[in-house]
Amino acid sequence: MNFKKNFNTMTWVLIPVAIAINVVVGQIVLTLKLPVFLDSIGTVLVGVLAGPWAGALTGLLTSIISGLAINPDSFNWWPVGLFIGFIAGLTAQFGLFRKSWTVVVSGFIIAITSALLSAPIQILAYGGISPWGISFIVSYFMKLNFTTEQSVVLANFISEPIDKIATALLAYSIIQGLSTRFLGRFSQNDLVDKDRRGKLTNIISAGIIIFLLLVLAFKLLSIIPE
Amino acid sequence: MVDRLSFYLKRSNWFYSLNPITKLTFIFCLLVTIYSSRNIYPPIYFSILVIILSFLAQIGKEFLKSVMKIALPTAGILFLMQSFMMQLGNSSIFEFFIFKLTIENISYAGISAARIFLMLISFLLFILSTHPSELMTDLTRRGLPGQLAYVVVSTLQILPQMQAKAAAIISAQRSRGLDTEGSLAKRVGALAPLVGPLVFGSLVEVEERAIAIEARAFMSTLKKTSLKEVADTRLDKTLRIALIAITVGAFLWR
Repeated sequence: MNFKKNFNTMTWVLIPVAIAINVVVGQIVLTLKLPVFLDSIGTVLVGVLAGPWAGALTGLLTSIISGLAINPDSFNWWPVGLFIGFIAGLTAQFGLFRKSWTVVVSGFIIAITSALLSAPIQILAYGGISPWGISFIVSYFMKLNFTTEQSVVLANFISEPIDKIATALLAYSIIQGLSTRFLGRFSQNDLVDKDRRGKLTNIISAGIIIFLLLVLAFKLLSIIPE
Repeated sequence: MVDRLSFYLKRSNWFYSLNPITKLTFIFCLLVTIYSSRNIYPPIYFSILVIILSFLAQIGKEFLKSVMKIALPTAGILFLMQSFMMQLGNSSIFEFFIFKLTIENISYAGISAARIFLMLISFLLFILSTHPSELMTDLTRRGLPGQLAYVVVSTLQILPQMQAKAAAIISAQRSRGLDTEGSLAKRVGALAPLVGPLVFGSLVEVEERAIAIEARAFMSTLKKTSLKEVADTRLDKTLRIALIAITVGAFLWR
């Protein structure tokens, strides 16, 4: 957990690229109209490679920069990105980024963190219904006589795991595709599996498809009124 | 995708010569005031004030255009969604499936939308009138590490390049017959051929860039001098103290 060790020159140069990856992949996902965000792949990548502090900084700066350059609404969500990066770095320190199935566990832990943080923001800044797609799920729970707070928390706990597990798996498959020489320049390089890269990419993309299909299944179920 | 990355417009007048921190203090005071009470009037009055300020800063036309493009849609969607999806009050005007329209919902949504609208337009005024590097130079002078300033400024340069690259990759893959508009499974399948080249392509440059800036004493902790000076006049300091005093005063008085 050495703060200084996280930040060598490679980390400082990787952070801007990671922020751009967050934003641009988020936009590609929007173009493809997929039912997820996938807007924190870069944050998780930096957290895993360089450490929790560097990940936290990447997450924080992503909301500041997309607030400055795209939509000021992003400023509201800064704690979420910050903790996603931090927790991603921590889970990597516990060795969860060595195998693809433990990455799923890591993604789930990141999702819980993210849900716990975005729920209060959604309640405090927007009163529960924000101008984002998740509000349809929130509204559905409110209709079932849950309180606003319960609905927001439930909706977040449903939507976050799928998004964050897919994010963690994508970050993992990116790391698998990078050269040992490149990875060796980051402080946490010993925490990622360096031997079996490349082979898993197919399995991982299959995993992502399964998760997205689960999302679709959920969306279809929630449209049918009881 | 966004057509212009930095919102900054070049002008020279009194508003532009204010220190960035003074403008941020102003926004901060506005937001604290509107979020401390659930009342529709403060956000409306302040929004008018911000719009007047934009005209005084000679960017009124462009400012209103950005408001129409960014702030109005966000606030409008929020208003509609909250009016129909909150569950306040009992006398519904209109009810359908999960949607329910009541007077209480509308008044709640009105306040929320007005608040978000004010927040968005005050930040828009800030980013239209402040160049990112001006903000960073000023923050570095106040003790922000130079590396952080590097990250912000260089992200703002890399972002449009990556967006252009993404657009190129999307059209290249489409011309090879990649289906980006079909069924969900097809669109999920399109993710890897779009994200892969983009991410690996941009990570390749990282190492070269690291060597280049390392050769220019990037990690040096010695104090650096700046080419540009950002003014922080006595007027700025007085304004900041006055703004905070007025906000605290209004809070106590209420």
